[in-house]
Amino acid sequence: MDGKAAGAPPDFHFYPMDLYDPEDRLHPFPEGATQTGREAYAEMAEEASEPGGVALGKAPRAQEEEVDELVHLYALGGAGEWGSELADGSAPCAEVPEHLPLGAQRDWRGEAGERSCPGWGAAGPGRDLREAYGYAHGRASEEYECYVIPEEEDEDEAALVFCVTCKAPVRALEVSDEHGEHEVTALDKALESAKDEVHKNMFKLEKQILEMENFANHLEEVFITVEENFGRQEQNFESHYNEILETLAQKYEEKMQALGEKKKAKLEALYGQLVGCGENLDTCKELMETIEEMCHEEKVDFIKDAVAMADRLGKFLNTDTDVEITTQPDFEDQTLDFSDVEQLMCSLHTLPAPSAPVINPQAPNSATGSSVRVCWSLYSDDTVESYQLSYRPVRDSAPGKDQAVFTMTVKETYCSVTNLVPNTQYEFWVTAQNKAGSSPTSERAVYMTAPSPPIIKSKEIQSCEEAALICWESGNLNPVDSYTVELTQVETPEASGVTESVVGIPACESLVQLQPRQSYTMSVRALNMGGPSARSDPVTVHTTGSRFPLNQHTCHPWLTVADDGFTVVRSEREAPPKEPLPGNTRFSRCVAIMGNLIPVRGRHYWEVEVDERADYTVGVAFDDVPKEEDLGANRLSWCMRHRFASSRHEYEFLHNKATPGIRITVSPRKIGILLDYENSKLSFFNVDISQHLYTFSCQLHGFVHPCFSLEKPGRLRIRNGIAMPTHVTFY
Amino acid sequence: MRLIFTNKGRMALKEISSNKCFEGLQKVFEHDSVELSCKMKFGIYLPPKAETEKCPALYWLSGLTCTEQNFISKAGYQQAASEHGLVIIAPDTSPRGCSIKGEDESWDFGTGAGFYVDATEDPWKTNYRMYSYVTEELPRLINANFPVDPQRMSIFGHSMGGHGALICALKNPGKYKSVSAFAPICNPVLCPWGKKAFSGYLGTDQSKWKAYDATHLVKSYPGSQLDILIDQGKDDQFLTDGQLLPDNFIAACTEKKVPVVFRLQEGYDHSYYFIATFITDHIRHHAKYLNA
Repeated sequence: MDGKAAGAPPDFHFYPMDLYDPEDRLHPFPEGATQTGREAYAEMAEEASEPGGVALGKAPRAQEEEVDELVHLYALGGAGEWGSELADGSAPCAEVPEHLPLGAQRDWRGEAGERSCPGWGAAGPGRDLREAYGYAHGRASEEYECYVIPEEEDEDEAALVFCVTCKAPVRALEVSDEHGEHEVTALDKALESAKDEVHKNMFKLEKQILEMENFANHLEEVFITVEENFGRQEQNFESHYNEILETLAQKYEEKMQALGEKKKAKLEALYGQLVGCGENLDTCKELMETIEEMCHEEKVDFIKDAVAMADRLGKFLNTDTDVEITTQPDFEDQTLDFSDVEQLMCSLHTLPAPSAPVINPQAPNSATGSSVRVCWSLYSDDTVESYQLSYRPVRDSAPGKDQAVFTMTVKETYCSVTNLVPNTQYEFWVTAQNKAGSSPTSERAVYMTAPSPPIIKSKEIQSCEEAALICWESGNLNPVDSYTVELTQVETPEASGVTESVVGIPACESLVQLQPRQSYTMSVRALNMGGPSARSDPVTVHTTGSRFPLNQHTCHPWLTVADDGFTVVRSEREAPPKEPLPGNTRFSRCVAIMGNLIPVRGRHYWEVEVDERADYTVGVAFDDVPKEEDLGANRLSWCMRHRFASSRHEYEFLHNKATPGIRITVSPRKIGILLDYENSKLSFFNVDISQHLYTFSCQLHGFVHPCFSLEKPGRLRIRNGIAMPTHVTFY
Repeated sequence: MRLIFTNKGRMALKEISSNKCFEGLQKVFEHDSVELSCKMKFGIYLPPKAETEKCPALYWLSGLTCTEQNFISKAGYQQAASEHGLVIIAPDTSPRGCSIKGEDESWDFGTGAGFYVDATEDPWKTNYRMYSYVTEELPRLINANFPVDPQRMSIFGHSMGGHGALICALKNPGKYKSVSAFAPICNPVLCPWGKKAFSGYLGTDQSKWKAYDATHLVKSYPGSQLDILIDQGKDDQFLTDGQLLPDNFIAACTEKKVPVVFRLQEGYDHSYYFIATFITDHIRHHAKYLNA
């Protein structure tokens, strides 16, 4: 054994051979496989028809060598890699010395198939040989595993450090020479810090994504606003300009008309004069002709007519002949009245009032419970001297009711508005002012203050080893959008815990999955449009055992729960009956109370300390167990009942009014109760002596809760949050 | 797969049968008993865990008329034993083939009715030493020849064997980690079976009887905490016949604050069907202490 394993390192251990009988050993090489290998190889050699048969033989052998390399490397896992083909692992490792040790095998691969173990690595058609391999390897392969691993371990150890300065892993050996001055840490630490960095960067990236998205949205709005503003300006100018043009046109018409009329008037006047002249001329000519005719007449007639004529002439000549031209051909100077046009033109150049600012949407997480930060922008070249920000709370009430509007003047384009009510929406709008006046109001934006932090009901926390159920009060009058639960594992002081968040919780309770036997700090935030509230006061949750609070709503009037929340007392005096609560939640007949056990299927364990002389009942029941019945008297409850009468202890294990006949000689003072949903069992134990008392098999289709009752005055104390004792784990 | 048998102190053990059961082995051996001066057989179940390590030992004592066969073939305990990794040994109930006059006359005295006492009366005192056999010789034999842990041992039984288990545990505080019984004869000095057997084996001196009576032994039990589990069929005729008298035992245990859980099982009788129903509970009861 020693001689053949010359190549093996000194710490290589063989299994003792005499553990197995000789005939139980498997043969290393099943005959068939061996021949296949041989044949295959021989075939390959034969197929090499060229004279360089050896050469060809070499080519497939080069392949072989590759396969060999792989096979050899994986020969450690040879059994595992070709799992299905592996023999039962019962091939004794005593084979190893009979097989070639590693060094020898290497030699063989360099030669032709001359050795006596051709099965090794003769590849050819791989499958059959692999079977041979797999079969042969069995235990032997594990030996190879053992053999090879020490080398790998060395390498691992060597590379275990990380040089921070060079930011590269180095072998421990090299540290002294090249990295003597450098800072060196263990590889795992370096890994962790690298992971941390990656996480940080991821976080940064996420934040950046969010910011960029917001910015993109904002840009869109600005784009739209610019279009609007400039559109408005264009419109203004256009209408302005059109007004001017109309005015001019109008004037043109008027003037032309006036001119036309004047011309007409003048022409008519002149024409009138002309007609007058014409008549005058005609009259003169007529007179002349008459006179001439007269001159040709007889003397007597001539004198008659001449006298008449002389009268006519005299009259005629006395008539004023107006030879003045009434109408001057000159064109009077008329200055057109363009003053209004001028005025219009001038107004194009005066300073306009600013255009409306653009109010930004609320930036995420910029609000607190009492303040918001409102921002807006101006997208024009307008000169602005100040802004006026107005706001009022948004109410659902009838719009007729006037809400008080608050206004403030600011010079910047943002404002932190304080003294606001949490979880409330406020409407904001802003106008810009300059010498010319005020801009139109911006659109109205609704900003919301963050909510007030919730208040966790710390006395009502339910937990078990795998989860916790916490509930809280909203802390806000109005509804919020959702809640976020944050939890951190409480670790040793050096290590800071990672905070896990459960987001989007719609109601005021949350069931959170946790790791067993740890401590966690949990707190809750409320979330609305404005962002998250401040953190609530934290609570600590321990995931050891199961913890449940007692449900006061189920408490029979004659029972009281002490301040510690876990001692149940029935006093001597019977208290006056309390007011019955609506709905049947209180036990009315059985003086009992139930706990609220976390609705998680698994195993839950708790203990009850009892007075040996007390009459008590402990067990579990469904939520809807009839409260006017005794525990154990129906199908919805299972319990252990103890009665102490005439110095005798009697025990019953009740379900549906039935109990097995059980006698117990040592009266338990501390009862352990194991509720096992997985195996549908409920077990009771005497904790002090680790004695198992009884186990119910119970079909638990839903969730049950612990229940406790006192048939006579006395007390019992519940202990929970306890890890299951060992003796209980057998059940 | 075979076991390694060391040669030290080896008494001639002859394997009579071997059957694989729940991945373990149910075997029957025969040997020459020194205490009983005859050949004795016993059944032994080796769980799969025994292949690789030493396991705790649990001794079963059978009742009247039984041999080593009844328990191993009727009780159906092998699955639980396999799961919990316990070696279970079931000896015979009395010496056999001793040719004592009258040994085969009744089924409740003599052959098959050893009552787990060391007889002091002739002609029984040579062979009928079942108490020493069960508490001394057999454990030594088992410890020497099988992969058992000598420090972890428990005992249980049925009817007469229940009586045997109780008295062995009560007379040897600390020797057994736990004890349990099915329908045991709890107070033999007061029941017909006990009176018949004790007068035959031990003579008329009742003080000698009390040394083998569980109810009496409990009253002066000084020892370490025992946790006793007893199952009793409610429809067991021997219960009604007053042969078993568990109430006396319970009362004594209550008085002495010896922890007992006594379960009266509705509808069950004295048979192996009753044993088979609750054997798993008993094995778990012992495993809790043996595997702790």
